[in-house]
Amino acid sequence: MTRSLTLALVAMGIGLPRLAAADSGGLLPAMSPDKPVICGRDTEGKVWRIQCDAAAKVCIYAANEELSSSGRRTKPLERARDCEIDQDFDRKKLEASGYSFVQGRVDAPYGWLRDERGRILQVNFDLRKRIFFGAAYTPQKILDNPLESKRTSVDFGLLSFNKLSDGATPTMHRIRLVHGEVHVEPFSAEITIAHWDVSRRFLDPLLRLTTFVGQPQRHDLHLNLGLWTEAGGLEIHPSQGGHSTIWKHATLQGTLDLWQSPDLNSFVRVRSGIGLEGQHTDGTGYRSALVPSSAFEIDAQVDDDGFHNVKFEFTHEAPRYFVPFQNSVEGSSQRFATRLKAKLSYEAIILAINDQPLSIKLAAGGEKRDDIFGVPDQWAFVADAGLRFSLWAPPRDPTPRPAGP
Amino acid sequence: MKLSLAAVTATTCLLLASEARAESCTGITSSGGRFATCFDLGNRLSVTAGSEGFGGSLALRHVVTFEDEPDLVWKLEHQMLDVTHATFEDRFSGALYRGRYVRHARDGHIVIPLGTPKKIFLPFDVGGFAEAGRIEWKPDSTEVRIGVVKTAALFDLSRSRDFRRRIAFGPVAKWEVDADRDEMTLTQHTVSPFTSLIANVRLERANGRSLANFEIEGGEVWHSKDGWKPDLRAEASLEHVVLAVNDRPIAVTLGVKYETATDEVLARVGARVVLFDRRDPRVQLAPLKRR
Repeated sequence: MTRSLTLALVAMGIGLPRLAAADSGGLLPAMSPDKPVICGRDTEGKVWRIQCDAAAKVCIYAANEELSSSGRRTKPLERARDCEIDQDFDRKKLEASGYSFVQGRVDAPYGWLRDERGRILQVNFDLRKRIFFGAAYTPQKILDNPLESKRTSVDFGLLSFNKLSDGATPTMHRIRLVHGEVHVEPFSAEITIAHWDVSRRFLDPLLRLTTFVGQPQRHDLHLNLGLWTEAGGLEIHPSQGGHSTIWKHATLQGTLDLWQSPDLNSFVRVRSGIGLEGQHTDGTGYRSALVPSSAFEIDAQVDDDGFHNVKFEFTHEAPRYFVPFQNSVEGSSQRFATRLKAKLSYEAIILAINDQPLSIKLAAGGEKRDDIFGVPDQWAFVADAGLRFSLWAPPRDPTPRPAGP
Repeated sequence: MKLSLAAVTATTCLLLASEARAESCTGITSSGGRFATCFDLGNRLSVTAGSEGFGGSLALRHVVTFEDEPDLVWKLEHQMLDVTHATFEDRFSGALYRGRYVRHARDGHIVIPLGTPKKIFLPFDVGGFAEAGRIEWKPDSTEVRIGVVKTAALFDLSRSRDFRRRIAFGPVAKWEVDADRDEMTLTQHTVSPFTSLIANVRLERANGRSLANFEIEGGEVWHSKDGWKPDLRAEASLEHVVLAVNDRPIAVTLGVKYETATDEVLARVGARVVLFDRRDPRVQLAPLKRR
């Protein structure tokens, strides 16, 4: 392709002299999306994009169309700025005044990369805005039939959507619809129909401490409070002699963000509140409970391009049943139960199919509970690895990050 | 069943063959009255009556385009409250929501973002299928099957920019629950952790008067009582508009369905009446102004 491009350039009326060396990343230098670009027509009528840097005395040029592998122009550039033909462009005059011309790539908008053939590809993904589905496996497998796997699981999210309301007190709304996961052998499932939480960064601090030791100094104590709600949760777990089904009708919690990233996409927080649930266990029947609960959460996009995502959640739930129940054959009746859960997960994008990311997910977690009949009250741990395919996942919001403390 | 499926497939081929040349979407009577001859099958509220029973569905479809990337189109199809209840027996099937989302790009590709990102050409569009809240029960049984969620990755070989053609396949994940209606207890869970495949061919004539759809789904499915078992479902359907009242179409529908779970073949015939629909933009019911 490079040879074809060279031949084309030889014929150019604007006489671009030589091919530039590739930059350190193996790609030709790219035009800046923040600087003006002009178009010039060569003697064959082909249009070239040119961007000149007056300080460096360098002009980058590139074809105004996408190129085939043989260097033939194929179709208009995608996601490219408008470019007007500059009839007054004078290469010789520029060269006489010290400018050099190097072959490069047309600029791409935020979140996108343009390759040497002018093709566009997405390189920045917001996994907080997506539809996803995935499968995960633990290492134990039945070897004689690879389709029959133990501890296989699927997870899904029919909509994840983050919306930042910018302003003096920026607010991030996080909406999740029909998120869950299902394990087989043994069967268990968790699904939440609707989730909405909101984080806010307050402009005015709750407390202003002024110290007078030495130079007077002011120390602000911000209390970034928010809200966390879920409705329509369902958990199904194996129990002695059947399954235990927990219907989490609704949960309402207040949140306190201990740390927020500038764009409010990442956070460390604690939350606490109360919920209403009903539990049906095969053999013991149905009972309802009020559930005080609290949690410590970390949700972080580690890099600016959204490739690495880490989540940690430790939750404590303490159902208070309206009627006493037995959680084991030999146990006595009780009204109170405790559920402790911890889960750490890491998700990284490994490739994109038609700009839709495929990611690998690694997770490990533990659980200790005494609310399910026959399930021993001790920690149980599980780890799995899997793949997720996401739809939508646009580039992360390039708008200026909200100001704040 | 094979014969029925073959008949539907043959009719589909005929539909394809007659898919055609551009034609006017506005008919004109001898007295100058105008009427629609093209219909939008994807945006409508319809009711259906037939051998399977009485039902209805709300369908919406739309595209999302991008000014700075004219070759990229998101094709979104939604179907809500698609229900059918048998008239003379206690049989019901319905789905709260069903959606297909296909990202059509002129140059399908894989990007490998390791090191210097690389782009490799792919000959298909990618997309997804989602279904939530499907319920089915059959006569002479207290069992009700609840399809909690079903998702699939879709690879569309037709690479069509519009909704008229789809040749898609992909792996399926689903979770279904069997419950006893009398005792109000869950009896069995059925899970396919992407161990099934779905293939779907949908062809629609340019004038929106005929539609053919064929879908087959098969693979290994895990049952909480019976373990892993093979599972196959196939369904073919045809719809042909034969009449329009006040420019709202009435169509004859034919279909045949098979599933291994019940080893049951169900054929159906019926009439679909569109109560409200989006007028096809090619239809011009108001006379053009004279210059």
